[in-house]
Amino acid sequence: MDQLIQTLIIGLANGLIFALVALGYTLVYGIIELINFAHGDVFMLGSMLAFGLIAIISSGGLGVFSITSGTPVLVMGGQIALTLLICMVAMAVLNVSIERVAYRPLRHAPKLAPLISAIGMSFVLQNVGLIFGGAYQRTIDNIFPNTNLLEPLGITSIAITPAQVFVAVVTIPLLLILTWFVDRTRQGRAMRATAQDPDTAGLMGVDVNRTIALTFAIGGALAGAAGVVQILYNNYTVWNLGFRFGLNSFTAAVLGGIGNLRGAVLGALVIGEVNALSDYYLSPNWTQAIVFGVLIAILVFKPTGLLGQQLADRA
Amino acid sequence: MTAEAGTAPSTPTGSLLTGSIPDPDVLVRARGITKRFGGLTAVNDVDFDIPRGSIVSLIGPNGAGKTTFFNMITGYYVPTDGEISFDGAAIVTRRGKRIRSKKPHEVTQLGIGRTFQNIRLFGTMSALDNVRVGSHVHLRSRWWDSIIRTPRMLNEEAASIEASMELLRLVDLEDRAETWARNLPYGDQRRLEIARALATRPKLLLLDEPTAGMNISETRQLTDFIRRLRAEHGLTILLIEHDMRVVMGISDRVTVLDYGEVIAEGAPDEVRANPRVIEAYLGRGPATAS
Amino acid sequence: MSTATSSIGTGPGAWLGYVGSNAAALPGRYATALRRRPGRTIGLTLVVLAVAVYPVLGHYVLADFSRTVFPLPFPDDTVATFMTIFAIMAIGLNIVAGFAGLLDLGYVAFYAIGAYCAAFLASPHFGALGINLTFMGHVGPGAAGIHLPYWLIAIIAVIVVATFGALLGAPTLRLRGDYLAIVTLGFGEIVPLYFKNLSSVTFSLNLGPINIALQNVNWTGGVQGINPIDPPFLPFFGLVFDARSGPLAVYLGLFLLMIAIVVALNLEHSRIGRAWGAIREDETAAEMMGVNTVRTKLLAFALGASFAGVAGSFQASYLGASTSDFFDFSISILVLIMVILGGIGNVWGAVLGAFALTYVDKTLLPYIGQRIGDVAPTLPNPAEYNFLIFGIILVVMMRFRPQGFLPSRQREAELSVAGLAEAEAGLGLPAALENVEIAPPGQDEVSADARTPETPGEAREL
Repeated sequence: MDQLIQTLIIGLANGLIFALVALGYTLVYGIIELINFAHGDVFMLGSMLAFGLIAIISSGGLGVFSITSGTPVLVMGGQIALTLLICMVAMAVLNVSIERVAYRPLRHAPKLAPLISAIGMSFVLQNVGLIFGGAYQRTIDNIFPNTNLLEPLGITSIAITPAQVFVAVVTIPLLLILTWFVDRTRQGRAMRATAQDPDTAGLMGVDVNRTIALTFAIGGALAGAAGVVQILYNNYTVWNLGFRFGLNSFTAAVLGGIGNLRGAVLGALVIGEVNALSDYYLSPNWTQAIVFGVLIAILVFKPTGLLGQQLADRA
Repeated sequence: MTAEAGTAPSTPTGSLLTGSIPDPDVLVRARGITKRFGGLTAVNDVDFDIPRGSIVSLIGPNGAGKTTFFNMITGYYVPTDGEISFDGAAIVTRRGKRIRSKKPHEVTQLGIGRTFQNIRLFGTMSALDNVRVGSHVHLRSRWWDSIIRTPRMLNEEAASIEASMELLRLVDLEDRAETWARNLPYGDQRRLEIARALATRPKLLLLDEPTAGMNISETRQLTDFIRRLRAEHGLTILLIEHDMRVVMGISDRVTVLDYGEVIAEGAPDEVRANPRVIEAYLGRGPATAS
Repeated sequence: MSTATSSIGTGPGAWLGYVGSNAAALPGRYATALRRRPGRTIGLTLVVLAVAVYPVLGHYVLADFSRTVFPLPFPDDTVATFMTIFAIMAIGLNIVAGFAGLLDLGYVAFYAIGAYCAAFLASPHFGALGINLTFMGHVGPGAAGIHLPYWLIAIIAVIVVATFGALLGAPTLRLRGDYLAIVTLGFGEIVPLYFKNLSSVTFSLNLGPINIALQNVNWTGGVQGINPIDPPFLPFFGLVFDARSGPLAVYLGLFLLMIAIVVALNLEHSRIGRAWGAIREDETAAEMMGVNTVRTKLLAFALGASFAGVAGSFQASYLGASTSDFFDFSISILVLIMVILGGIGNVWGAVLGAFALTYVDKTLLPYIGQRIGDVAPTLPNPAEYNFLIFGIILVVMMRFRPQGFLPSRQREAELSVAGLAEAEAGLGLPAALENVEIAPPGQDEVSADARTPETPGEAREL
């Protein structure tokens, strides 16, 4: 039983990371009905950049921040914050550029052209990761102390580590800020309007191109943040990380109802649990197949997902 | 502008009104047809019969539910409620609370052909190929026949080309047989759609605003053509039309829909003078003499 | 679209007569073509001759000359064989994506299944389970495992793969285009994963008379795969078509390719080919004209898949081994690039794309890498980053020439920039590549068969 709870806790932490990436998928699909194949690879590049900034030189990093477990907490906090900022901005810029180059020119092409372009982009990004990161995993040593925060409460069979708390501390505020942004701000309203009906939104004065670019920027920023968390929590990155994470996050978005933000988060948590349970009780070899199985099952039986789509039907 | 319908050989002689047509003359029987889209009721409890060999027009203001009704007869929409039978065969049946409808291609196989309000030809296929697709449902070749080119397949293909050329001749498009559909002028496209529908060998032909966008002489030609289809080919025809000259000119019977309900049905002249019909088209207010 | 306009009889005699008369007419037709369009005819003749002669020439003569006489390397036997293998696959994917307009991103699954058909049916693998069956096989009597001749394996592979294609397609082909793509991608991942993981199956079932107990059964060979696999062979002449046979295997590949081309062309110019074109143009209108779109799309999927089955079985028999690592997503995309690059919807375009891309991927890039390595060893080797190049190709192609280099005239019209403008100028014709979706959310569940989008807006559409 304790093992089960522990597995679920692990699943929650990874689920939060999935959530950040899933939002990118769902936002973009909501606004231009495109499955942004390359999004997972943007996340991977974010984690590569984070690796470069954080890792000490002997691990292969660029030695910019060189955070280790010995770094004083205040300094560490500041450096992590900076890393987050840099990665989020960089990935936002990258995502916007990708949209500009690979998707915008195809906005009026037959539906499958931008999808194929996205696949091509995904390969390009993966190879960039391959060139800069090499063929093998890049790892750092865990910078968080390996203590069990539940010990003072007398619980020793289940553990919650500072690293997991860190994940929550970074991801949850971001999710809340995003929700506030989409629901309450003018730009967020513009995004929702464009998602419903871009032509009418344009006629109402919404700059559709800018709104779409903003959506990609937000998605990229979230992916960048997820990349930082990935390095600091899971301690590794590799050039084909994007495929696995992309699969999990996209499935999460579909599970929650594509286009639906809260759904994406909910779906991500579920998929995080699915991953953890499958890894532990079955075998990591099968996890990917199971997640795909979930994806296919949803698409075939309940394509609107758990919380339902929030799109207009524009076919 | 009296209808010449009475002189055509295949026109039914009994009553033409829904509910009172003698049984052997009923080609389509629809009862209680309702269609709801979420909160919107597009068609509401409509009874509708079509007598064999007649030309029936379905008219009404925009949004009255006419095309929705077409879509239900052809199996494209499943009604929310009601039953439809065609030439004795069931298209839409009710089992308790569940409504089951045949799929569109099955309905086509039973013998209903249609054209569309906004032309839906296969643009990058030739006129001939468009018509040949219409004959798809009656060709028997299977994919293995196609792969090894069996005599059956080859004979069928040759016959289908001849039959399709016949239909193109019928609509006066035989010299445009190889032109791509989307390169044809508008009037030709409309006639091509009819030829394609005829290739499905229908007993009932549904024409959705066939004269839209046509000038007076084109309209007259098409009207004559529709008459000939009934007279020479024994087709029953259901028409959605806005051009009242056409409606009054060739219909044996007119049914009027408004807000998804039948508000009048009868001979063209009767319907024309019906105050409810006038009101539906022109709105309430100072009465306008017909 | 001219076929014999006079009626021929029925039955096999008539069929033979038809084939015979067409064959006899060939010289006449060739002479006419020569007279009417001499340049094109001679050009095509030279190409055919070059292809026919290349395997022998390449093997015995050119290997010595390449790099000294010509600036670019010639493909060797293995690469040439793979060119035919990929060409067969490209033709198959072209049926699915080019003819019927269905984007399949998991084509590699069928390739893998075909390969493992050969692996199961022509190797000692199942001998470990005590299953021994040799029927016209390549091996001597009493050999362990199943050993069937290649031609039989190819037929079985077609049937097996087509069945899988139908099973896969049945629940999924009604999905809209991009969702279908993702689902097929999923299958393309799951199937090879099964082959990789089922190397140690422990399973027991005790249900009445059924009593199965498997302990640590090596079902699929796992990561190491299955080997050796019997090569295709010709008994009377003692010819073996394996990786060591030089040009022989290339000729077998060309032979299979020829059959594939004929089958694809015959399908294209037939009732079902027209139906596929109609579905691709306007699926709703096609359905209304009596085309059973579900069944027709399923046929495209299954028939297209079977080509990959043949290719896979040939590849496994040719190499004599089958490893699960080989079958991954990048192959699905590689074949897709071949179809897109070569010309979507066009059988010859697909062949061309396959030849070109296989050559680039397996001969040209490694060669360039070698040259760069000689001169500047620190620079990246393009052969290792081949998908960087292919990815860029995809993005650029979609932007500037989505119809490919030799598209069918239909697809050219649909996809090229000029074609799209022309379409918009036409009257009320919907753009291509839109598929009918399942019922959108928020609508009443309209009883049993809610199969099509049903909104008030649609009512006015039709």
